[in-house]
Amino acid sequence: MINMEINQETIAHLAELSNFSLSEEESRRLETDLAGIIDYISQLDELNTEGVEPTYQVFEMENVWRPDEIEPQEADPDQLLALTKEVQNHQIKVPKVL
Amino acid sequence: MGQPSIVSQISEIVNSESGKSYLPTIGIECHVQLSTKTKLFSEVDNDARGKAPNSCVSPVDYGLPGMLPRLNKKAVNYAMRAGLALNSEINLESRFDRKHYFYPDLPKGYQITQLFHPIIGAGSVELPDGTKIRIEHAHLEEDAGKSTHESDYSLIDLNRAGTPLVEIVSMPDIHSAAHARDYTKELWRLMTYAGVTFGDLYNGNMRFDVNISVAEEGSAELGTKTEVKNLNSFRSVERVVEYEIQRQIKLLEGGEAIRQETRGWNDATGETTGQRTKEGAADYRYMPEPDLPPIRLSTEVVEAERMKLPKMPAWYRDQFNRVIGAENVEILLDYRPLMEKLAELGDEAAVKKVANLFASVLLAEENASLLNDELPTREQLLKLVEMLGNNQLSSTGAKEVFLKFFDPEMHYKDTETIAKELGVVQENDLNALEAIVGSVLAKPETKKAQDDYRAGQEKVLGFLVGQVMKESRGKANPSSVQEILKKKLGS
Repeated sequence: MINMEINQETIAHLAELSNFSLSEEESRRLETDLAGIIDYISQLDELNTEGVEPTYQVFEMENVWRPDEIEPQEADPDQLLALTKEVQNHQIKVPKVL
Repeated sequence: MGQPSIVSQISEIVNSESGKSYLPTIGIECHVQLSTKTKLFSEVDNDARGKAPNSCVSPVDYGLPGMLPRLNKKAVNYAMRAGLALNSEINLESRFDRKHYFYPDLPKGYQITQLFHPIIGAGSVELPDGTKIRIEHAHLEEDAGKSTHESDYSLIDLNRAGTPLVEIVSMPDIHSAAHARDYTKELWRLMTYAGVTFGDLYNGNMRFDVNISVAEEGSAELGTKTEVKNLNSFRSVERVVEYEIQRQIKLLEGGEAIRQETRGWNDATGETTGQRTKEGAADYRYMPEPDLPPIRLSTEVVEAERMKLPKMPAWYRDQFNRVIGAENVEILLDYRPLMEKLAELGDEAAVKKVANLFASVLLAEENASLLNDELPTREQLLKLVEMLGNNQLSSTGAKEVFLKFFDPEMHYKDTETIAKELGVVQENDLNALEAIVGSVLAKPETKKAQDDYRAGQEKVLGFLVGQVMKESRGKANPSSVQEILKKKLGS
């Protein structure tokens, strides 16, 4: 993380991974913003975290689980399907992916 | 573990046309869908067989904002059991992580998996020929939805999104197509015996990703590997490995480099084709999953799960290889209920006879469907063995009775009743047999045969035995009849 350089290439790569298309202006703005964020977060690098487990969560909980029983859902399948842009044969239609 | 009973004859070194020797190295990742009632993180039906697309779904599966995963305890239990079946350490503390990738079959934009602290640690799987394949680790994760690709669009069904998976990662200990096949088949047996999956391969309950590379024999470094994903049969795993070994050797011999890439398998053409170069691991942007607290298990809980493991393939091999032969055991192992039935019998001689009936009668193509029915009871089988033993049934008769154990009209009846109703109980009463033989010999139409026999034509004895069998309506024991005939005809 320390030397992570944010440039137009990084932005283009991240945008591709997230399937975003960015205008040049957006891309420039993100470069400035992200660089600022990384710089701010980099303060943490002053601490020696050698051998320290990353924090998974701040609550001291464990074994939060539920029984294997089917429960009625607050939204039914048709309501959920209706949230999608396009439907065909009860399936979610999306641009071709491979 | 018992002694390996089939000597490994699988050759690992592949010789090229130019006379060089290559050692293939194969590692396999296997996704096992767990047969829990509900999904891994949502309380909806996990069994979508025969249900409409997108009917077994919840807001969690759709990745709607604000939705939180709720861990299914049964999936944790099944994962433990799967791990124990793999002779693995169960990690008492495990955690979840997010693996990010953008694909419509996973609407949240990341898959919840276990990268850093998997629930199942190192283990091993022993193949029928005694070869040991080490397990690197195995972890719990959620399945993605199913995409169907049409000409210019794709259709997504989220019924499978969130199905609990155990992903089993092997060490690169496999060096031949045959062992790759044996390994995947053994995983299928271990997981179905452990009862953590339906194991329906056709419907993708177990899917294999195979990593293959070749290197010249003696080379200190492995070759560049290719990965073929989503195979769902042992045979296709075997064919892919065979194909990739040859393809890679050909490239190397032609002085070309092998590209590290994911390749797709076409079952119809029997070829793999390049799909895409592998994304770097960092592209998944793994991070700890903050929505799920860690799993902490006690040794007591793990041991309790171990108690739920039934007899496993290794136990049956240990017990039965000596009795019915390793090859027969391997055939019958594919049908767990049959193995359980054999174990119930308790008596080795009975095991031998019943195993034979299972193998010869039931596994014949046209009868295989009977396996889905209720199997005969221990009492029915032991009586059948007894009747075979004291010649009340011929082996043909025993097969007929055995088949009737699966007949809905007959299966509840005891063995003797079925045999009597079929009229296949053999007449072993010597006095009664002698009387029947006598009556046959008294018939004028057998006169010539008798004379021929006395004149030295021994072949006609068969005709006379046949006549007696006919007279007894098939119930006489043919070998007894033959003895009596020989005696009566004075030879």
